[in-house]
Amino acid sequence: MWRYFFRRVNLFFATTLVMMAVLFYATHQFPVDESYALSGISNPSAEQLEHISDEFKLNSNSVVQFLAYVEQRFSGNMGMSINSQQPVFEELKTVLPASFELSLVAGLIALFLGVPIGVIAALSSNKFVQWSILGLTLTGYSIPVFWLGLTLSLWFGVNLGWLPISGQINLLYQIKPITGFMLIDTLLSDSSYRIPAFVDALMHLILPAITLAVLPFTLIVRITRQAMLQVMNQTYIRAAEARGLHTFTIIIKHALPNAMIPVLKSIGIMLGTFACYGIIVEVIFSWPGVGSWLVSGIYQRDYTVIQAGILSVSLLIIFLSILIEFIHTAINPMSKKELYATN
Amino acid sequence: MPQIKIYKQDYISTPAGRVWKAFSHNPFALVGLWGVGFLLVLALLAPFIAPYGANEQNQQVLLLPPSWDPAGHVEYFLGTDDLGRDIFSRILHGVQMTFGMSLVIVSCALFFGFIIGAISGMMRGLKSSILGHLLDALLSIPSLLMAILVVAVIGPGLSNVFWAVGIAMVPQFIRTIHQAVHDELQKEYVTAARLDGANDLQILLYVIMPNVWEVLIIQVTMAISAAILDIAALGFLNLGAQAPSPEWGAMVAQGLDNLLLAPWTVTIPGVAILFSVLAVNLVGDGLRSAIAPIRK
Repeated sequence: MWRYFFRRVNLFFATTLVMMAVLFYATHQFPVDESYALSGISNPSAEQLEHISDEFKLNSNSVVQFLAYVEQRFSGNMGMSINSQQPVFEELKTVLPASFELSLVAGLIALFLGVPIGVIAALSSNKFVQWSILGLTLTGYSIPVFWLGLTLSLWFGVNLGWLPISGQINLLYQIKPITGFMLIDTLLSDSSYRIPAFVDALMHLILPAITLAVLPFTLIVRITRQAMLQVMNQTYIRAAEARGLHTFTIIIKHALPNAMIPVLKSIGIMLGTFACYGIIVEVIFSWPGVGSWLVSGIYQRDYTVIQAGILSVSLLIIFLSILIEFIHTAINPMSKKELYATN
Repeated sequence: MPQIKIYKQDYISTPAGRVWKAFSHNPFALVGLWGVGFLLVLALLAPFIAPYGANEQNQQVLLLPPSWDPAGHVEYFLGTDDLGRDIFSRILHGVQMTFGMSLVIVSCALFFGFIIGAISGMMRGLKSSILGHLLDALLSIPSLLMAILVVAVIGPGLSNVFWAVGIAMVPQFIRTIHQAVHDELQKEYVTAARLDGANDLQILLYVIMPNVWEVLIIQVTMAISAAILDIAALGFLNLGAQAPSPEWGAMVAQGLDNLLLAPWTVTIPGVAILFSVLAVNLVGDGLRSAIAPIRK
């Protein structure tokens, strides 16, 4: 197991380095001055220029420059945002939790709705139920997310007027950021309006979270269904049935834990697409997360923001997908057998 | 008249024939296949069928509702947008951009992915691992981020959609083909062929390929649907196709200003995207369930 762990850690570092190299190369291809693209200072004075070239070793060869680039970026020097003139790192710290909040809620909705529905789709012998669940998931999988978001906001936000369609919370509420998660911050704040603020934050979260949850939901339903169909044919399920266990017990205790393994794996594969969808959803609902920050960065050609956004999002995806792969191997003895040909 | 069997032996259909038989027994898959064929025909014939040009403006009919609305007019079947352009014609022209472009991107990605994936799949050890894992880094950069990076370097335009979606897609093909070739290579019939004296190229082309192409086809259909969604999403975010273009995602973005006044300018291109992705996914799903029992 340890050998596998270190191989994964190795892979993480190698992948990160390659990603940094891609970013480093792209940074030098930006159609602006090198020092401007690296630091975000548009008209640097002579000493600032010297400072930048000292930090990023601009006078050395490209290998040294690359190492300096990696060192600067990982020590938190992301430069200044060209647009807001704030340090990019500080901005990143405020936008990342908002994105986490949205994607966590969306992921949880998808998981807690998707798994039971997948199980029902697998176990139901009713053709109508099966076809309608499959048709629904296929449609959900094919729907363009930006169009879904617009339609939902037009319908529930404008025509029916039930839910707010932009932002994280009504601007009237002054909430001091503690964790960065608006739902928790509103409860933690000591103001008199914390409960209405919490409700307001929750209302703001519903539409974007549902829009973002559609894709993982459909995938989880489909994969749970497939895995359940396979697991229910195994001999140990028949043995449990022969012992006279209740169907519910069999599903919860014997079938689901085994069916969850491929679901976990597919979640790891899905992360990249999920991040794409998250960015689009944040843009549509003006969610103050890393996605809308990044897209407004590209509209304004804010090169430091672009680098920081891409770096943080891809690092997160690399890290999470390797972590999920590791957990998948750790809890699944079958894959250990594949690795070492022994248990 | 019942068919008379002259010979005693049963006719055993080819693997492709069996896949087709299973595929055509699934009505949804056939609907999807008709849909894809319809889109292909439209992609070829769109400029001849479309009643108006993609950017032809008629100032007399701004924001005309679709023809089933009492205020609509049948000459503008799906209505017009805020510049008086016929949406029906624009959708037809858009087939080439969104659907046609996804085909081009996927075939290019397939070409390069196949070459690299086959080479790395046939090799063993460190070389294979380097080729296989080097591109994992690119795999982890979502296509949208890739597009943002490309736009930052060369500016927005339809050509960078090609690069962004293509670069994001090649590693997926490499991984699929690498894995499939690698798995087949462990099997005994390959060893048998090797003992017969086949070299690596022969093993790849004549021994392994016939058993891999099914996986490949499924991957291709999945890639096409993902490519359509990506192209449209980039067009919507103004990072891909630019404003007057009839690309469907860009059409949604252009209709956004009039969302409240004229929701059809957003709804209709969205339905077009949904329809084409659904058709491709139905075909892919049908293929998967047709191939799955044979592979067991």
